[in-house]
Amino acid sequence: MAAARRNKRMAASQPGFLSFNSGLDGNSSDIKRRKRVNKNKKKNWNKYSDIQDVEEFLDDVRLQEKAAGGLIAEKPDATLFFVDTGEKDKETQPQTTVKKGKRSKPLRIDLILQPDSRIPAPKNVLAFQQPNAKKQRRMAEKAARLAAMGVLPRREKLLRLRQAAAASGLPVKENPVANNNPERAFYDLWSAGTPETDDPYYLEQTKKKLVKRPDRLNEKPSVLPAIEVVGPGGSYNPDFFSHQDLLREAHEVEVKKLRAEERLARQLAVKEDIATEESSFKEQVEGLIEEGDVEPEEPEGGSEDTVIGPTATQEKKTEKQRRKEKAQRIKALRRKADRQMIDKQQQLFQLRSIRANLKTQEQRTRQRQAQRKANQEAQKSMPRRLGRLKFQTPDLDVQLSHELAGSLRSLKPEGSILKDRFMSLQKRNLIEPRERAKFKRKYKVKYSEKRAFREIV
Amino acid sequence: MGGLQKKKYESGSATNYITRNKARKKLSLSLADFRRLCILKGIYPHEPKHKKKVNKGSTAPRTFYLLKDIRFLLHEPIVGKFREYKIFVRKLRKAYGKAEWGGVERLKENKPVYKLDHIIKERYPTFIDAVRDVDDSLSMCFLFSTFARTGKCHVQTIQLCRRLSVEWMNYVISSRSLRKVFLSIKGIYYQAEVLGQTITWIIPYQFAHDHPTDVDYRVMATFTEFYTTLLGFVNFRLYQTLNLVYPPKLDGQGEINLKSEFEEDYALDSESYTEKLSALSASLARMVPSAEEEETELDHFPTEGEDQEKMEEREKMEHEQIKQKKFFEGLKFFLNREVPRESLAFVIRCFGGEVSWDKSLCIGSTYDAKDETITHHIVDRPSIDTQYINRYYIQPQWVYDSVNAKILLPVEEYFLGVTLPPHLSPFVEETEGDYVPPEKLKLMALQRGEKPQTEDEEEEEEEEEDEDEEEDDQSEEEEEAEDEANLAEIEEKRSRGKSLSVKVTPGKAKAENRKRAAEEEKAEEKRLAIMMMKKREKYLYDKIMFGKKRNVREANKLAAKRKAHDDASKEDKKKKKKKC
Repeated sequence: MAAARRNKRMAASQPGFLSFNSGLDGNSSDIKRRKRVNKNKKKNWNKYSDIQDVEEFLDDVRLQEKAAGGLIAEKPDATLFFVDTGEKDKETQPQTTVKKGKRSKPLRIDLILQPDSRIPAPKNVLAFQQPNAKKQRRMAEKAARLAAMGVLPRREKLLRLRQAAAASGLPVKENPVANNNPERAFYDLWSAGTPETDDPYYLEQTKKKLVKRPDRLNEKPSVLPAIEVVGPGGSYNPDFFSHQDLLREAHEVEVKKLRAEERLARQLAVKEDIATEESSFKEQVEGLIEEGDVEPEEPEGGSEDTVIGPTATQEKKTEKQRRKEKAQRIKALRRKADRQMIDKQQQLFQLRSIRANLKTQEQRTRQRQAQRKANQEAQKSMPRRLGRLKFQTPDLDVQLSHELAGSLRSLKPEGSILKDRFMSLQKRNLIEPRERAKFKRKYKVKYSEKRAFREIV
Repeated sequence: MGGLQKKKYESGSATNYITRNKARKKLSLSLADFRRLCILKGIYPHEPKHKKKVNKGSTAPRTFYLLKDIRFLLHEPIVGKFREYKIFVRKLRKAYGKAEWGGVERLKENKPVYKLDHIIKERYPTFIDAVRDVDDSLSMCFLFSTFARTGKCHVQTIQLCRRLSVEWMNYVISSRSLRKVFLSIKGIYYQAEVLGQTITWIIPYQFAHDHPTDVDYRVMATFTEFYTTLLGFVNFRLYQTLNLVYPPKLDGQGEINLKSEFEEDYALDSESYTEKLSALSASLARMVPSAEEEETELDHFPTEGEDQEKMEEREKMEHEQIKQKKFFEGLKFFLNREVPRESLAFVIRCFGGEVSWDKSLCIGSTYDAKDETITHHIVDRPSIDTQYINRYYIQPQWVYDSVNAKILLPVEEYFLGVTLPPHLSPFVEETEGDYVPPEKLKLMALQRGEKPQTEDEEEEEEEEEDEDEEEDDQSEEEEEAEDEANLAEIEEKRSRGKSLSVKVTPGKAKAENRKRAAEEEKAEEKRLAIMMMKKREKYLYDKIMFGKKRNVREANKLAAKRKAHDDASKEDKKKKKKKC
């Protein structure tokens, strides 16, 4: 390319160079006055050097190449000129060209899309060039060298191993099967396998033996059975009385719920003296309207400033008084001790009642113990509080008397077993009660009236 | 007295528990993975006794686990698998994002998979433990197998559940271990006795699903994953105990019979075998082809006295049980298309009956409706066009009621268009003195072998009763009073029978009734014993007797009520008839 360009330049610099643009030959007529600028900055080189003539010239070269397929100056004369020998052909031409149908004429659109440049499209270099050719060549060389030495590449080696294994009939290690694969195979899990002979310490350290499961974990967290069978009233064709029993049970639950709701409503009810318009207005204008007869009473300011405190100071006791008091104190103490003595002696005669007392006390303790034990037993079958939410007993599945189907065909099943199972898991304390996460919108929804809508309304 | 001051919450219950979030962090798992791990390993949250202490003074409700449990979880190998899976998902997402399809392929090939075998072995050290706990897994498998393939859970899971439940049903059929069936408004409860364990499970009615929104499907799927694995291993072992081939194979003989032209219409070739298995109409192949029925007889040991009596009794019981196990034997059933096919086929085959259905209804029908040898045709519509004389046309409830009663019930009450007797729950066991519905009483009488009253007699009786009632109607209030009086009388009689002495009148030459004498002696003994009681014991005894009497009274009241109700309904019917 570079050589070609140089050629062009050379051609252009020739005195005989022909230009397409007539205005180009020679210097352009109006040369601007040169402006004086400092050339010590790169910016100024670009800005103030006049390259228009060069640009124009190059444009022309490109144009020539496009239109004529090369510089006209270089073309041999035979390609540029022909000898005019009159209009001999003009008569013959229409005869030879037989009018064809519209079909033969190329479409205008195709013509537009035809490339009009005479320059051939540049070759795609990458199509011929191999990326990393050097590296690959080197790798191939290395592989060849190794092969000569008898070392096989890894892939080949693995393939040969696999083939050997298949030939020998040994089981090839397969990919493990997913747990929910419907074709998965089962085996006898509880058969007594070969006992481990290795060192237990070794097995433990290499994690070949699992840690023993504590026995505590094999206890169930609730004593409830896995499947709770519904009562006889839940039959599809129940006995009248058992059905009534079930209905009553469901009714009682409903009534309890209703009562709780009512109580809540009562507690939340607004009291009688609600602000009416009138009263609120009155409140607002209170004090603004002067009323003659209602005069705020001035508080009487004549309060006394003197503080009443304990004025009387205690007088000192005399020695005599002290002695007397002491004697009294000692006397009282002695009397008390005597009383105690007598009481203790008297208790000997109260032995029976004391014994009875003790007995009742013990009985009470025993009763309480039994009660506590019973409570604990009852707790075992109750759902525990395992998380943020409390377990809520699901509604009883009930069919009313008129909903009962006469036959199995017309039976409409009640409730969902899936939900039943899920609740059972919660009830047995296997999972904590949960509720579905609420959908939260990050942004507000903006409603806009569409034109189509407005047209209708 | 010195020493450092004890800090709060550094010992005792505060250190025995760990909150869920802390446990999750300790295991470095996401919450979903942690939940899954806990379900698989059988580690459940625990409610501490002193919440405030455990919660370090706060009373906010929180989920706690025992610290020791979480430490135990740290040793679990599948924790590592969960982490691997997380990385796998991340890599896969990246490969998709970069559109590296080769990489996606490679990653998918090496998807990390975890096994639950060791966990099952760990949680159920012996086979019987596993059988004892199989109720839950059965219910879950049967439930999931009825799901539509709508993406609520993996299609593969549904298929596996179906396979396992069919295997289970086939096992129950060949071991003849079904005991009770109860059609409830929710679903069908079954109870079987497998290796001495009572196992109850529930199957939903077909096409009964609308998916509830307040159920966490992820949790349920995890439970199902565990339960399917458990059930698979249990099934394998159960098949082994019966000498059956696992995975189940149809008996060769039956297979040939089963082939029909409509097979291709019904299922693809690849599926037809499993479909035939699930049709439950053919018996399974055994490992060792055995004699038709191995009669297991008890070993006889020469014994004396009481032991021998007991042995005889036991033998008798055994015989009865064997007889009960195949009381449908020799009967040929045909199911009309509107009855629940799978349930009925299962129940009938469990008790040795033969069953078939219309060819277009399901694969695996063995004979068609025109077969002359059919004894029972099960129909659930008001009437049917072509009827054969030599078979009973009955409603499906007959099968279930017969199974619960363990005898072939009289078919008259279950004919087409007849109002059915109530379907009683076999799971209710009445103790002495409880109210027993008259239907059950009748049933018990049948079981004892007493002949039921013939229809004509009953009708006559009814008429008589009706006449009586007409008279009674005039004085309803009186009747009530009478009822009460009657009750009082009955009670009195009962109490008298227990407490009063039996007089023996001397001088009358009467053939001594030995039985009677023995009874009297017993009563006398009892009376004396009561007399000899201490005051406290007497008090307790009186209390107990009072409770029993109260129960009896209540039962009597209910019975009277029932009678009144029946009479009323009968009258209504009569009136209607008259109107007609």
